[in-house]
Amino acid sequence: MNSTTSGGYPENCCGFIKAKQKFKNHDSTDSPSRAKSRGKLKLMNAFFLNLLLPRSGSYHNFKVSKPTIIFLSFVFLLVSAFLLTGCIKKSVEEETTIHFVTWKPNIPGAWEEIFKIFKAEHPDIKVVKEVGPHSSTAFHDLLTQKLKNRSRDIDVFLMDVIWPPEFAAAGWAMSLDDLFPASEQEQFLSGTILANTYEGQIYGVPLFIDSGVLYYRKDLLDRYGFTPPETWQELVYQAKKIVFNESKKNRELYGFSGQFKQYEGLVCNIMEYILSNRGNLVNPESTEPEIARKPALEAVRFVRDNIIGGIAPVGLLTYQEPESLDLFIQGKAVFHRNWPYAWEVSNNPERSVISGKVGITRLPHFPGGKSFSTLGGWQLGISNYSENKEAAWTFVEFLTSERIQKLLALKAGRAPTRRALYDNSEILRAYPHFSDMKDVFLTAYPRPRTPLYPAVSNVLQRYFSKTISSRSSNIEKEAESASREIEKILSLTKK
Amino acid sequence: MNRLLFYITTFVVVFLSLLPFAWFFNTSLKTPLEITSIPPVLIPSGTLRSYQSAIEEYNLLHYVKNSVIVAGSTTFFTILISIFAGYALARLRLKYKGVIMGSLLLVSMFPQISIAGPVWKILQSLGWLNSYQGLIIPYITLTLPLGIWILASFFRELPGELEDAARIDGCSHFQTLFKIMVPLAAPGVFTAAILVFIYAWNEFFFALLIMTQQKFQTLPVGIALFQGQYTLPWGEIAAASTVATVPLVFLVFIFQKRIVRGLSAGAIKG
Amino acid sequence: MNHVSFFSQMKLSLLTREKIFAIALITPCFLLVATLAFYPILYSFYLSLHKIILGLPSLGQPFIGLENFRELLSDKVAIHSLINTFIFVFSSTFLEIFFGLVIALVLNKHFRGRGMVRAAILVPWAIPTVVSSQMWRFIFNDNYGLLNYIVFGSVTSSYTAWLAHPVSAFSAIVAADVWKTSSFAGLLILAGLQTIPDELYEAARIDGASAWQQFRKITLPLIKPALLIALLFRTMDAFRVFDLVFVMTQGGPADSTNVLQFYGYKKIFAEGLMGYGSTISVLVFLIIFIVAIFYIKVIGTRLFQEKG
Repeated sequence: MNSTTSGGYPENCCGFIKAKQKFKNHDSTDSPSRAKSRGKLKLMNAFFLNLLLPRSGSYHNFKVSKPTIIFLSFVFLLVSAFLLTGCIKKSVEEETTIHFVTWKPNIPGAWEEIFKIFKAEHPDIKVVKEVGPHSSTAFHDLLTQKLKNRSRDIDVFLMDVIWPPEFAAAGWAMSLDDLFPASEQEQFLSGTILANTYEGQIYGVPLFIDSGVLYYRKDLLDRYGFTPPETWQELVYQAKKIVFNESKKNRELYGFSGQFKQYEGLVCNIMEYILSNRGNLVNPESTEPEIARKPALEAVRFVRDNIIGGIAPVGLLTYQEPESLDLFIQGKAVFHRNWPYAWEVSNNPERSVISGKVGITRLPHFPGGKSFSTLGGWQLGISNYSENKEAAWTFVEFLTSERIQKLLALKAGRAPTRRALYDNSEILRAYPHFSDMKDVFLTAYPRPRTPLYPAVSNVLQRYFSKTISSRSSNIEKEAESASREIEKILSLTKK
Repeated sequence: MNRLLFYITTFVVVFLSLLPFAWFFNTSLKTPLEITSIPPVLIPSGTLRSYQSAIEEYNLLHYVKNSVIVAGSTTFFTILISIFAGYALARLRLKYKGVIMGSLLLVSMFPQISIAGPVWKILQSLGWLNSYQGLIIPYITLTLPLGIWILASFFRELPGELEDAARIDGCSHFQTLFKIMVPLAAPGVFTAAILVFIYAWNEFFFALLIMTQQKFQTLPVGIALFQGQYTLPWGEIAAASTVATVPLVFLVFIFQKRIVRGLSAGAIKG
Repeated sequence: MNHVSFFSQMKLSLLTREKIFAIALITPCFLLVATLAFYPILYSFYLSLHKIILGLPSLGQPFIGLENFRELLSDKVAIHSLINTFIFVFSSTFLEIFFGLVIALVLNKHFRGRGMVRAAILVPWAIPTVVSSQMWRFIFNDNYGLLNYIVFGSVTSSYTAWLAHPVSAFSAIVAADVWKTSSFAGLLILAGLQTIPDELYEAARIDGASAWQQFRKITLPLIKPALLIALLFRTMDAFRVFDLVFVMTQGGPADSTNVLQFYGYKKIFAEGLMGYGSTISVLVFLIIFIVAIFYIKVIGTRLFQEKG
């Protein structure tokens, strides 16, 4: 029976209706119960037959209809594709290699060299490098995801200084107590060793260190006969005087630039004020929060009243490292707080207009206190689920050895973690300020060390951002509630 | 007077719609010094340095490749499944149609956070984190309501006699669907494909959570995370944003009629 | 020959076969949606009843009943983010419907180049939210932002840090969202406008009605369904705002742009507090669910009835 309506109808569709009519009449004599069970069978048959059988003229060939073929083949392709990707992933890991997860280095050339040396000295170990995303938080997420997964494509990884407790408590980082004895540990800066220790065991080897330092415009300070300020009050005074006197020539000069956006860097910046006022964030022995105590409150008040909107632009509340550095290297700030990497950038004539006019010194303190800087830096950890732990340790040992740290220092400007290198003549020649910085690095102070540091940090960030961004903030009240929040979080780890 | 007001309004609307993107595109053609100059420079020097840097140092092309794979696959599978389900809901006699459509609508409104954790856990147990299928399959789920909604409305528009005529000719259901209905609803299929592609290309939340390895990340994630600890490369971000947007702008300009039709399908039919 | 006898056993009506076919068609969709949408919602509920801290696996995952919810009620930050979210939803939705109406009225007229204008207005909608967020972040920049340049010209000392003050940062986010999605609202309303027959306006004009009266008495009532649908979609989307906050402000300054979905994200994925974070996600879901039900009741169930 061919269609008489508009074209486009398939021509091999045919007398299904005819056949159906025939069978309808056939079954009308069955008993009810048989009909029911037959009905169920019919349903199942119909399901498959309906899909698979073509409605062609002859019912003799058991042909599967075209659409069905296409459908099934796609399903098959899908399934095999997924299985295949799974297989491919597995086969790559049969070789004896170690996977090193790192993040994008600022100076890749130095790393290339390092890998070449390692390959020459350890031809039996192949290092596969995986570069993580740019931002530290994204890198953290990548690592934790792999480790939560017990993934086999991670053996050695870089850790930010605040991660070891978290990684240790979660069982992700391997304890290095046997491989990294106390005698070896002593060769490293003690602050960095402390940061890698959790509940008496060590979980990482420090690779390089960062700590907050104060940069200043040597030319401007000289012009007004100032020496680098010792106290914060002095800094404010100098900044005000310089800005005022320079205002006729340079309307856009600010006194200070730092990082005060609501992120991790905010905690680093403000901790330096608090510590230098003989206060603390959390007492390391009793693990009691101390942000509601007087020294901490005073420090925060000082930042709110004198720095933000005082000698520094309000925009600092939106700045992380890049923006704050930009302000400085464009000649719009007298003082600048940042990590050691800024030294290179400030003196690079291609990016900075103040090249050659930069001074570097330790951060100021409050009267009666001492100068403190927040400990930063990166360490190497080994995955607890690694299947090549010895090879991994060989690599870690290699990277943190004296000569490689020296290479990193000379070629990439990274501050080493081995004490001895601070007396090394080559390094001091290239970076004369390292000799001053040694003291700063030696006394760099870590942030609260707890596996739940991200949660604690969020509370601190919230508290600091709230109080310094509004003139009318009630610092005592906010500090109290933040304190209680931190206590609650820390109590979770005490069980 | 009315006319003048009309023209002014139109001009303002168009100008405001295009200005931010034009500015960003403008930025992608500036040198680093021009980008950070205060006050901003209006005329760029027309250098392609940002694009070059984005490709060489920030793996821009990898992100593009991943986005194409993910969005393309999602579109293909979603459309296929939407054809099935949309047809069933529009034309076939099925009980609880209202409930099904309603629950699909509900799914399209689910806040991502409410399903993110469990979906992540499911994918983790399957080992599909940081894999294409790990992102494609959730995307299919999320775009199904959109696809089904559009296709159902297009199918509904076709005359009811089509099936009966096909039945008389003895066509199987499958044949009816693929040989007759789909070609006639082709505009709807096309529209749905465009909308699904745009959605999958732009999605950020799940891409951020599921793809943490750079080699699998899609464009939105890449662009959001360009910033490192030491650098905020506005030029490269602008360049990558332009690359991410230009294909969509083309799609929109060429297919604006269809897109409008597809988006308002729900409104008109309702 | 086999098939003939097979068929003799089948007394399936066309109706039943069609039902089976329909079920077969729906199955893939149903499976996906059930596993990756409905099951996760239920699982989120389940997780919110436990204490789960990913960073401390040694503590296990004890069942704590509604403890998380009790804590949520006293969590000031959560309440603050809830308020932020509501304010965001109200202000952005209102502005989007308003601008959407303007856009729809403009596009309703036939004029040369209407296609181009329509395409230009669709560009903001088509741009990835992340790109739009970066764009606006750059425009609001306190040093080299376009906005400062437009408002203050070359007087760089007056340049404002828009994203540094809680109120202006929040407004910036609303502005970016309105810019991006007004065209979508406009399209939905346009669809409604186009169903109004011209004769109505003709008749009104003959009767001497002014343009404003025509708008009030004819246009507004007749586009009510379209307006409501636009409102529904925009409200749902506004509750789920995330990308803008993530890229532009990360919830700051001082949590002024902390919205529910972002707060939940931080709790679950940054702090690893999966139990408590799930509580937040359950809350967001319930809010959206209630609002959706409310809207659907108002719009009526016309949308879901089958045709013919």
